[in-house]
Amino acid sequence: MRRPIRIQNLGGARAVILHRPHPTVQALTRQLTAIGLEVTQVWPDFTAEGIGADFVFFDADMGHDGMFPWAAGQPPMPMIALIGSEAPGRIEWSLRAGAHAQLLKPVGDNGAYSALLIARDAFDAQHALSAEIADLRRRLDGRQTVVRAVTLLSARGKSEADAYAQLRQMAMAWRISFEDAAARIVASHGQDGGADGQRDQG
Amino acid sequence: MKRRIELGLLYSRTGSYSLISEACRTGVLAAIAQINADPALDLCFVAVERDPGGNVDLYGPMCADILQASTARHVVGCVTSWSRKEVIPTVEKFGGTLWYAVPYEGFEASDHVVYTHACPNQHLLPLLDWAMPAYGRRAYLTGSNYIWGWEMNRLARERITAAGGEVLGERYLPIGSRDVGRMIEEIRAARPAFILNSLIGPSSYEFLAAYRALGLQDAAFLPDRCPVLSCNMTECELPALGPAAEGLVAAGPYFRGVGGWPGVGNFGSSHEAAAFAAVRELARLLAHRPGAEDLSLSQLLAGDCRPGGIIDPETHHTVLPAIIARVEGGAFRVIERRADMPGDPYLSRGRMAPLAPMLRVVS
Repeated sequence: MRRPIRIQNLGGARAVILHRPHPTVQALTRQLTAIGLEVTQVWPDFTAEGIGADFVFFDADMGHDGMFPWAAGQPPMPMIALIGSEAPGRIEWSLRAGAHAQLLKPVGDNGAYSALLIARDAFDAQHALSAEIADLRRRLDGRQTVVRAVTLLSARGKSEADAYAQLRQMAMAWRISFEDAAARIVASHGQDGGADGQRDQG
Repeated sequence: MKRRIELGLLYSRTGSYSLISEACRTGVLAAIAQINADPALDLCFVAVERDPGGNVDLYGPMCADILQASTARHVVGCVTSWSRKEVIPTVEKFGGTLWYAVPYEGFEASDHVVYTHACPNQHLLPLLDWAMPAYGRRAYLTGSNYIWGWEMNRLARERITAAGGEVLGERYLPIGSRDVGRMIEEIRAARPAFILNSLIGPSSYEFLAAYRALGLQDAAFLPDRCPVLSCNMTECELPALGPAAEGLVAAGPYFRGVGGWPGVGNFGSSHEAAAFAAVRELARLLAHRPGAEDLSLSQLLAGDCRPGGIIDPETHHTVLPAIIARVEGGAFRVIERRADMPGDPYLSRGRMAPLAPMLRVVS
């Protein structure tokens, strides 16, 4: 199920506008201030005060690689591209920079509120997916360990299905994941038998 | 010598919400008469009127006509949020200003609009905060099928569920529709603790009449047990309702006879008062500043150095009291008056403090 978008807590949020002084910055600042955000404009460098911001608006027309103090495409906050020239190269660069939403220049009387909500939702969704993928990847990596644990348990005279069920019960009793329980079995066997049981953990 | 300044009026004098339009128009004309008769002010207003007749597609073109065919830069007008949103691109294009004197659903702060009536932190939230402890937290929501009803009910649902309450039903009617039978049947079955009614015009009149009839059949639906709450009902629509209005609870910045806001004068309703306050504020901003009538709103506000201004420069909303009143004997009687508070259109200034869930002793 899709989680509800977060609407109520924009008050006091901090926005950084990475753009040279321009009427677009004034218009955007007016909109953001009316919504209740604190706004800082920086250019050309993304200074330290920007690091803790809740939102970043950046100039897609004059932007360049190495502009942000984080790995490309991995911003720690929602990013909104300020697009003047809708040239494919600039749009591609904005996407690579990690834009979650965009606002077309010249910025006038509206658009900032929806950009904020859409960017934050995209950012939240991206993070939730990344966390889920990392967890799935970790479990995938543990597949070999599970096979070894089941093999070890069934070596004590159980059928494969029973060994599998036993492992699941152990995981529940220990209140850890199935994969972690398998790793523990393999490790304890490794200690008993001096084998390389630790290798697949993690 | 008074400067002659044209002022646009954009109200629908026919159509489903004409009673509200007339109330606003009365307030505007009263303020104009007062200003024009005031020897201390160096200006007089001349009304330039257009009547969209309740047709939402005529608001944009008629507003453009005012701004092009006359020297007016300021237009007082619009009742529905739908029409306001149609007009905003026009005032933006021509550098004009819309003065909007009707309660609305918030989440807007145009650089070209002044909002002199209440937004949800000034009407809906105080009303729910009063109603839930008094009647319970099981709500039924109605609304006209456009942004006002949708957004009011979204906010109400959020507020009610955050307080541990429940929304038993939510239903909409097209503007002008009188087809309220299904709502009444759902309410009869759901037995809510209160009804939040964001219907407008004839839909609302029909609904309230049908709900009164339901109360006469089943005492669980009498106003003292399960009241109807409204953020858009004022005295100006009571004549259309008659006895069906009895027991209705409404929130607003003003009810007839209540002092405080907007300062001086007796008004028929908060619509009239808010429209009056808008024109008075415009006169205050323009007085003794020759040429100021051609400035944009932001320039006008930036150059305002005299005391007495009512417009928040960041949001263009105003400070208003939140009054909760009940219809008794054909007139609103005040139940509760909350402290004056600034309009907070994005609900981002005063935190929306969640109400503690209501706990009951279970034996």
